[in-house]
Order: sequence, then C-alpha cells, then structure tokens
Amino acid sequence: MYKKLNNLGFVIGIFFILISLVLIIGGLVSDVLAHRLNFYTGFSFLVFGVLMTFLNRKDDKDLKA
Amino acid sequence: MNLHIADYLIIIIYFLFVIGVGFIIKRRIKTSNDFLTSGRNIPLWITSLAFISANLGAQEVLGMVASGAKYGIMTVHFYWVGAIFAMVFLGVFMMPFYYGSRARSVPEFLKLRFDEKTRGLNAISFAVMTIFSSGISLYALAKLLEVILHWDFDVSIWLAASIVMIYTFLGGLTSAVYNEVLQFFLIVLGLSPLVIVALHDAGGWSNIKTLLQPQLTHAWRYMGHAESNPMGINFMSLIFGLGFVMSFGYWCTDFLVVQRAMMAKNMNAAQRTPIIAAIPKMFMPLIVVLPGVIAIALLQPALASKGFSIPSDGHGGLDYTMTLPSLISHYYPTGLLGVGITALIASFMSGMAGNVTAFNSVFTFDIYQSYFIKNKSDRHYLIVGKIVTVAGILLSIITAYIAKSFNNINDFLQLVFSFVNGPLFATFLLGMFWKRTTGHGAFFGLLAGTIAAALTHGLTLAEGKGGWIYPLYEIHSGMGQAFIVASISWIVNFCTTIIVSLFTKPKPDAELKGLVYSLTVKPTYHQDKWYLRVVPLGLILIAITIILNIIFF
Repeated sequence: MYKKLNNLGFVIGIFFILISLVLIIGGLVSDVLAHRLNFYTGFSFLVFGVLMTFLNRKDDKDLKA
Repeated sequence: MNLHIADYLIIIIYFLFVIGVGFIIKRRIKTSNDFLTSGRNIPLWITSLAFISANLGAQEVLGMVASGAKYGIMTVHFYWVGAIFAMVFLGVFMMPFYYGSRARSVPEFLKLRFDEKTRGLNAISFAVMTIFSSGISLYALAKLLEVILHWDFDVSIWLAASIVMIYTFLGGLTSAVYNEVLQFFLIVLGLSPLVIVALHDAGGWSNIKTLLQPQLTHAWRYMGHAESNPMGINFMSLIFGLGFVMSFGYWCTDFLVVQRAMMAKNMNAAQRTPIIAAIPKMFMPLIVVLPGVIAIALLQPALASKGFSIPSDGHGGLDYTMTLPSLISHYYPTGLLGVGITALIASFMSGMAGNVTAFNSVFTFDIYQSYFIKNKSDRHYLIVGKIVTVAGILLSIITAYIAKSFNNINDFLQLVFSFVNGPLFATFLLGMFWKRTTGHGAFFGLLAGTIAAALTHGLTLAEGKGGWIYPLYEIHSGMGQAFIVASISWIVNFCTTIIVSLFTKPKPDAELKGLVYSLTVKPTYHQDKWYLRVVPLGLILIAITIILNIIFF
C-alpha cells in the first residue's frame, strides 16, 4: 500500500474517490446535500477516481527508487 | 455564503492530501538537487500537467475569469494568440538549449551563454517577480476567504501560507509539482460543472451572443481600432505586445514554467512537455474565460430573474475579481460548494508553491551559491534551500499586502511580467540565434529594456495606474498598458543588445556549442512515430489554434 502512494495517479484517484463518496453518500443521508448536481458530479468524480487509481502507469514505477 | 460540515470536510481532505504528498516525497529528498531540481526523473505526463498547472494560479483562475467579464471573449487571445504558439516554439526550438546545456536554471543558462553579470541581473529580477506573483496568489485567496467565508484577512494569509510552506519545505520542487498535478485535476473537474450549469442557465452561447454587445463575443472583429473594443488596443499591439513579446517572454524564458520541462527524464520528453501541455491549455478558456462572459450575460436585464450579481468595487463599477466566487456562490449547492472553494484554494496554492520553488532554485543556485558562499557541501545548500523556502513565503506575505491596493489582480501581474519578461525574450532570441551576441550586449540590453519598461509605465496612464513621472499618454485599459510597456521594453532591449554586441568581443565558437542554434547538433526523432515527434505535434496544435481563432473571429 505504501509503495502505491509513490504512484501519483493512485494518490489522485483516491482523492477523487473520497470526494465523490462525500458527495454521493452525503446526498443519500442528508437533505442538505441531496441535490442533483452533487450526485452527477459525485458519480463523475468516482469514475475518474477509479480510472486514475487502477490505470497502470509504467512511468511511475521508476519513481519508487 | 455559509459552508456546511460537508464543505469543510472536502477542504480538510484536500489539505491532508497536499500535506501528505509532502511527507511522502520527503523520504526521497537526499541532496540539494533533489530538493531544488527534482533530479530530472519525472515522467512526461506529470511534467506536462505541472507545466500548465504552475501557471494555473490565482492569475489564471480568478484573474482570467475577471478579464473574461471585463474584456469579453477577447481574453482568449492569452491562449490562442499567445500561449499555444509560444509553447510550441519552446518545445521545438528552445528546449534543446535549456536541456542540452545541463543548466539547472534559466539564469544559469544565461551565464553559460553570456556571462556572470547577465545571470545576476536576471536572477535578481526573476526572484523579485516570483515573490510578487506568489504574493498576489496569496492576496487573492485571503480576499476570497474574507468575502465568501468572512474569515479574517490576516488569519487567512498566515494560515494558507503555512500549508504551502509545510509541503514545499518537506518535499521541495517534487512535492510542489506533484501537488500541482492534483490541483490541476481539482481545478478543471471542480469548475467544469459550474460552466455547464451557468451556460445552460444563460440560455447557451447563442443566447449570450444576442444579449451582449458584439465586442464582448468576438475575438478579432473589433480589433481594427483601439477605441472599438473593451481592451483598448488594436490588433497590431495585441499580436506584437501579447502574442509575441509577453507570451513568448513568459512561456519561453520564465523559469517557473521552463523548470517543469527541465525536470523531464530525457531530451525528447523535455521537448514534448510544453507541446503536450499545450493540448489542455488550448481548451482552458472554457474553464477560465467563458464563466466571465456568462457572468456578464447573467447581469443583463433579460436574465435579471436569475438573481445573479457581482459585488461593486465601491467606485460605481464591478469588482471583476469576484466574478468566479460569485458564480460559485450562486450555482453550487452545499457539497459541491466545498469542491468549488477547494478548487479556488488549489489554484492559489498551485501558483504560490510554483513561484516559491522557482524562487528557491534561483536564489540558492544563482544568487547565494554564485555570489555569497561558494564551494560548500551539498548538505549546506540543501539547508539553505529550505531556509529560503521559509523566507520566500514570508516575503510573499508582505507582497500580498501591496497587491491589496489593485482592483484587477491580472492587470497588476501582467504589469510585473512586462517589466521583467518583456525585455528578456529579446535577449534569448538574439543569444540563441545570433552567435555574435555578447555578454555585454545582453546585460546592457536587459538593463535598458527594464528601464524602458519603467519609463513607459511612468509616462502612461491607464485606469488611474502608471503616470508616476508624468501622465503623457492615456491608455484605455490596464491590460493595454501592459502590452505597450512590454513592447517598448522588448524593442529597446533588442536594439541595445545588437548595438552593444557589435562594439564588443563575442565568445569564440568553441564556447558556444550547444548554446547557439547554428553551432548545435539538432536532436532528430525521424525513427519515432509521428505522435512522438515535436514538429508534427506542434504543427497540428497550431492548425487547431488557427481554426479556433476563425470560429470565434
């Protein structure tokens, strides 16, 4: 896990997944956040975050040294 | 505007990530080169995004939206006349010199090509400029937090500066660059929903065109005369002042952005960095210019029912700097509001950290190591680099208070750039393409160009600024004044450098190999696929840019 933190794509992906969870879960449990724009943006961030997290970036491996 | 706990949670997650990146990178920092130059080991996609993100500070985000509202779609000239052509030129022609010379900074390249005094002059002026830029980013954020969240201006400045200081102090340039990439995605993805919603609310681009004066929705049609467009300049001044002098001066010689390309793993990656960066840069007006134009459309009587407003500047006009925060406040619900505010905070941090890290490198290598303490251990320069980080942040704070007196921060920043970058590009152009250019010529050319910039500013008046010697000539806008100042300083530098060079002794050819175009072996990539070669990529980008100019003519 720690090694993965050296991969910038992974870090960015995790960041956007966390933000998307705040927007989506927040929208489901709180009336204040239950806004269509939050859901649309949350799902977009989730897709982007997952793609960034799991995309294999060969270049980044060199940075672990 | 009131933030909900979810908004604060998003801001806190962002702060934790940027500081966390600093801690992760800290383990890799062993030498002064690791801290100040990243050791030339960064992948292409990161150098490319960092290249444009270093410029995606408060100037780009708040300033360009403000300019979009003030000058209309003409603001795209910063991209489609200026940036793209300059970035292609940098990648194709100039990176081989920067990267091939193994210089650690632009001032160091000037030393190799010319002499020590030219390096010193450039290093000092660049250091002053980066501190100004950093301070303006800081001011923009503090003002934003004061107006939107009612945070105390002074507390905001110190709190925000502290966070930037933590991650730049821990991880140096690499940490700043990694955070710049995160900030790039946050700014683009965080502001995209705003553009979509606001554009839809304003009835789409066709409705905006019917509501606004045509001068605000055409990029070129009203550029024939200075009086017929809101920027107050004609197309010749624009093409020469912005398109050539200022844009090439900034993108090709400003160490802040060039440093990102110099971090690449090899020559090909270094050349492709600005070219790849030009692709998202080309479409950046959708995020940073279009919202300004939409905002002005929303203020028209036909759309009064939308209830959108921009605060007054206290003198009967609009406070254009507040255009983007006003849009965010109007359209973003709780949750997304936190994302929007975080994107703005990210833009500030990106700009400030970029400037501070560039300041670090130049001050440590080109001022401290060159003029004060030479031949010390690497650890000594690593410690100095870290101390300079703290000093740079403190100087930025002082500068932030100076910037407080200007109503459009973009005009102010352009003015600072025009003093320093305007004349500098003439020095590089002559130095790289005319081997007869001498160190004395470059030095006195730079000096004369900078003095000419100051004199021109002192003799022209625009929006109450300048004219501190005598208000001899009045210019319609601060932006137009900046273009004219830059143009005159460039011409004075160019002529002075040629004249002085002709009367002084040039370096022998043997010393200029790898530093002058005619004496350098050009890198060839004929064996690579077309999309890995800089020239085909550059030509495609230029063709698309021309098409965009025609569409929005």
